[in-house]
Amino acid sequence: MKKIIKGNIFIIFALSLMVLAFAIESPARDDDAEYAAMIESGRKVYEVRCLLCHGENGDGNGLAGIIRRAERNGRILEIYPRDLAMGVFRFRTTPTGCLPVDQDIIDIISNGVPRSFMPSYKHLPREDIKAVREYIKTFSFRWEEEEPCEPISVNRPVWAGNPDSVRKGRKIYKEMKCGECHGYTGKGDGPKSNDLKDDQGKQILPFNFTTGNLKRGSSPENVYITFTTGLDGTGMPSYEDSLNEEDRWHLVSYTLQLMKKGE
Amino acid sequence: MKKILVFILLVALIIPALSYAKRTPRYKAVEVTNGGTIKGTIKSENRVDDPVIPIRVKPKGDPEETRLEEDTCGSSQQAMMYVLSPDNEVKNALVIVEGITHGRAAPKKDITINNLRCRFEPLVSIAYVKSYYIIRNSDPLLHNTWLGKVLNAGARRTIFNLALPYRDQVIKKPNRVAGLINVRCDIHPWMRAYVYSSRHPYAAITDAGGNFEIRDIPPGTYKIRVWHEGFEDIIKEVKVKPDSTSDFRAVFTNTRRPFFMK
Repeated sequence: MKKIIKGNIFIIFALSLMVLAFAIESPARDDDAEYAAMIESGRKVYEVRCLLCHGENGDGNGLAGIIRRAERNGRILEIYPRDLAMGVFRFRTTPTGCLPVDQDIIDIISNGVPRSFMPSYKHLPREDIKAVREYIKTFSFRWEEEEPCEPISVNRPVWAGNPDSVRKGRKIYKEMKCGECHGYTGKGDGPKSNDLKDDQGKQILPFNFTTGNLKRGSSPENVYITFTTGLDGTGMPSYEDSLNEEDRWHLVSYTLQLMKKGE
Repeated sequence: MKKILVFILLVALIIPALSYAKRTPRYKAVEVTNGGTIKGTIKSENRVDDPVIPIRVKPKGDPEETRLEEDTCGSSQQAMMYVLSPDNEVKNALVIVEGITHGRAAPKKDITINNLRCRFEPLVSIAYVKSYYIIRNSDPLLHNTWLGKVLNAGARRTIFNLALPYRDQVIKKPNRVAGLINVRCDIHPWMRAYVYSSRHPYAAITDAGGNFEIRDIPPGTYKIRVWHEGFEDIIKEVKVKPDSTSDFRAVFTNTRRPFFMK
């Protein structure tokens, strides 16, 4: 027996290494197979539900094209499908410059985006939404290159929306010069409102608080997270480093009143 | 028999090695003992006039604020885009060693981008991934500082977008993204700056005489990209020899319209 072992020591060593290598590799291969199946499933959902607007390569050049809509103030708003290949996401719970967390994408797919023609897909099976989320990630290298960021925690204070907070929020709105874009009365008609462009160099309009719901949703938490994270890819900057948490909630109180959603 | 054994051994070692390779970084910091230097000058073929940017401040709700912005920004700015020496040597060109896989570690060096009198200072800079951007507002006005990575098709992707409503406000942000970065203020569309964010230390900016020097480069043949906001890129190969200096000269022939003028 010893002779056999001695004579074939190299073979035994090599085989041991191979077994070790495959032992290391095999869980990854299982994961790979699972991931490939998910991507394939996501591709199928995407082709049926998303491709018409977002295009085959996720670049927003689907057959649907640009939709033009007149705003109440007479300005024309061009709405076009999001270019997913750029890897820029407006509606995140992560700081400016970060990729969204998985739940952020699920929220957009599930809830849709009001005023943008992005419908809600709440009725789809959860597994389909997860699969299409993973498929969307294949359009941009950002998902491979960048480390994930922690989402920002949102803790709504009990006083949010009360008259004192609204009054403080009005002062902060002025001090933060929100009116330069959003207008001094929140109608989206500030002196800089016609100069704003998005990441694709296309003109965009600042939100008119008096006309409707925020695209990401108009709950106090959604308004708070919008000020905090900014809307990457648009002119809306992040106020996370410019305003403390309390002042951001006062601003929420005031802007909810502008939207006629205050208490 | 030995050959077969060696083959089996190699296969057995390569499989985990491939798996590991997927996770290795694109640039590896190593000690460089016999590095070479690339030194040279960047020129323009023709004399190019530096444009003057007209500034028109839109009236604000409060006339006092309008006046403050007019006083801070002025009615026009020299673009400082084509800063040429009497012999047409070009200032503020970026010289980048592209595709380098290993070499000295990038320095831990933060860079400051200052909003000063409605321009960004400096106009061109080099930042390093894993260091920090320090964004400062020296004006008594609302500025927003937007950084966007320049993509291949000329589009730019937001890296971050920060509101700076107060004078002397400072925000520190981690640098996570490599590549050519355009800096912009949405509120003052003429404001612009450029940052080359690098994983390695092998990039330089030309001085007023168009000169640059990049040291301690591991010997090899490299592709050098010369970038300037107002000229078409130049790409040339250069050979770096151990402990010696390679001369690099390039001449811009074609101008281009920079982002802020489009």
